[in-house]
Amino acid sequence: MVILEVKNVSKFFGGLAANSDVSFNVEQGMIMGLIGPNGAGKTTLFNCITGYYPPSRGDVTFDGRRMNGLQPNQVCKLGMARTWQKVRPLAKMSVLDNVMVGALCRTNSLKVARELAMEQVKVVRLEHRLNFPAGGLPIGERKKLEVARVLATQPKLLLLDEIMGGLNPAESDEIIKLIFEIKKDGITQVVIEHDMKAIMRISERIVVINSGEKLAEGTPAEIVANPEVVEAYLGSEH
Amino acid sequence: MSANLSVAGQRGVSPLGLGLFALALVALLLFPLFVNSPYALHMMILLFLSVIMGESWNILGGYAGQYSVGHAAYFGVGAYTTMILMTAKGIPPWFGAWAGVVMVIGVALIIGSICFRLRGPYFVLASIAVAEIMRLSAFNLKDLTNGAEGILAVSVPPLTIGGTVITDFLSKVPFYYFGLGLALLTIAVTWAVEHSKLGYFFQAIREDQDAAHSLGISLTLYKNIALVISAIFTSLAGSYYAIYVGFVDPNTVLPLDLSVQIVLISIIGGIGTLFGPVVGALVLVPLSEALRSNLITKALFSIGLVSESSKIGAFLQENLSHAHVLIYGVLVVIVILFMPEGVLGFVSRLVHKITRRDA
Repeated sequence: MVILEVKNVSKFFGGLAANSDVSFNVEQGMIMGLIGPNGAGKTTLFNCITGYYPPSRGDVTFDGRRMNGLQPNQVCKLGMARTWQKVRPLAKMSVLDNVMVGALCRTNSLKVARELAMEQVKVVRLEHRLNFPAGGLPIGERKKLEVARVLATQPKLLLLDEIMGGLNPAESDEIIKLIFEIKKDGITQVVIEHDMKAIMRISERIVVINSGEKLAEGTPAEIVANPEVVEAYLGSEH
Repeated sequence: MSANLSVAGQRGVSPLGLGLFALALVALLLFPLFVNSPYALHMMILLFLSVIMGESWNILGGYAGQYSVGHAAYFGVGAYTTMILMTAKGIPPWFGAWAGVVMVIGVALIIGSICFRLRGPYFVLASIAVAEIMRLSAFNLKDLTNGAEGILAVSVPPLTIGGTVITDFLSKVPFYYFGLGLALLTIAVTWAVEHSKLGYFFQAIREDQDAAHSLGISLTLYKNIALVISAIFTSLAGSYYAIYVGFVDPNTVLPLDLSVQIVLISIIGGIGTLFGPVVGALVLVPLSEALRSNLITKALFSIGLVSESSKIGAFLQENLSHAHVLIYGVLVVIVILFMPEGVLGFVSRLVHKITRRDA
């Protein structure tokens, strides 16, 4: 079953096409990798999918529902949640309160929200930081907090924007483990990542974007063998 | 840093805090029985007024992070509605104040729909502009507001319930209790907001609106809720002021000065905290009174720091009372530089440091 359908999505900023005619489908329960050189338009695509920008052309369909024109909060309520490339902790609020804000998306009761939040804090292993202000966390823990907070909104589809960016290998490994755990819970994930090793390990399918256009799509093995992808990343031999 | 952080993360009520609060409450309730100096009562009334204004601004500015510098607009709507209804239609103020609340909800939603399209400094500028429009309108809608001459109420009708006169408002005591009640109500409402979904959402919007938006929080809805709560209590403060003073004109209830002063109460006391505005009011009201009545100059003379006959003495006596705006400015600079969390945050950090050193 297709949970997310991106169909001919284009986004123009003035005359600049940040995305042009991008299409792909994401199957329920899978991990989809989204890669491409810097400035290829990956984050813009996330913004179009999650309601931060209305796509200039094309359609985004999630769970059988057309998402164009919905606000980010409505998108989140419908079960599609995203994290931010540049983490956005609610700095003065504690770790628990940050996650509770996410949980309050589904409940009006602080008590219930606190329980839901506690569960997610445990999932990302930040129990020892419960009452620590989010602004004071080191980068690795901020990224985990970002994941816990977004999981607390109980999404069906999670879009992770460079969740391993700036992390050391040990921290990246923890995040990879986390991504597999999230998959076990049946949550579909679309992952933007620069770390090729990581993306090859976690993704079942990969979409490559270059200069705003879809360059290739396939299994990790197919992508590695694709000469156009190699050229986009490393330049041509000539 | 960790002390500073634990202040921010604090939640729940300590028995000591609760005890102090109860003690203060009893003292405030009994105050008029022991003190009947009209001057002291007047000071307390000004204090309550500042607390009400500060607490209500704090909901929008401190918790939701929307720095409105146009709160005089809501104050003015409350003050004018109450006064116009009382003088022109004979409607007693305790009904007029609620009419003011209804008016202010409408005004707030209109202002919100315009200003909340803007963020950060642009929102601040828009809020100033809207308040100035209200002030100029009050000047020019002479049929309604009597323009620059303002509206004078000769007397306040007595408050009656079922024919029995509760109070005739001839002394300051009923105003004292009204002010105390309203101040407690705004504090209670702030507490309730802080301990609900609203408080979490407001703070999330303050900390990062894009993140809040992506977590399912409707920015338009929750910013407007914060604005409406804030405007309602600012309007009630305006009504209360109008009845107490018995006079409104555009330059007393709608000036930019007032908007700035409302903001300062929170900033100086401690923004986004339950008791910050109370502390701010406790600092600002006595300070402005001391400056106005030249108490500071007199104090300098009496401790012999400056001689009354000297040139400096004459200069101070002449100018210090007019310099309250300047001193406000200096105070704000000091607070922003050295106590970014306000006086309350500064003191609690200090207490924290001392208690930890003991431990």
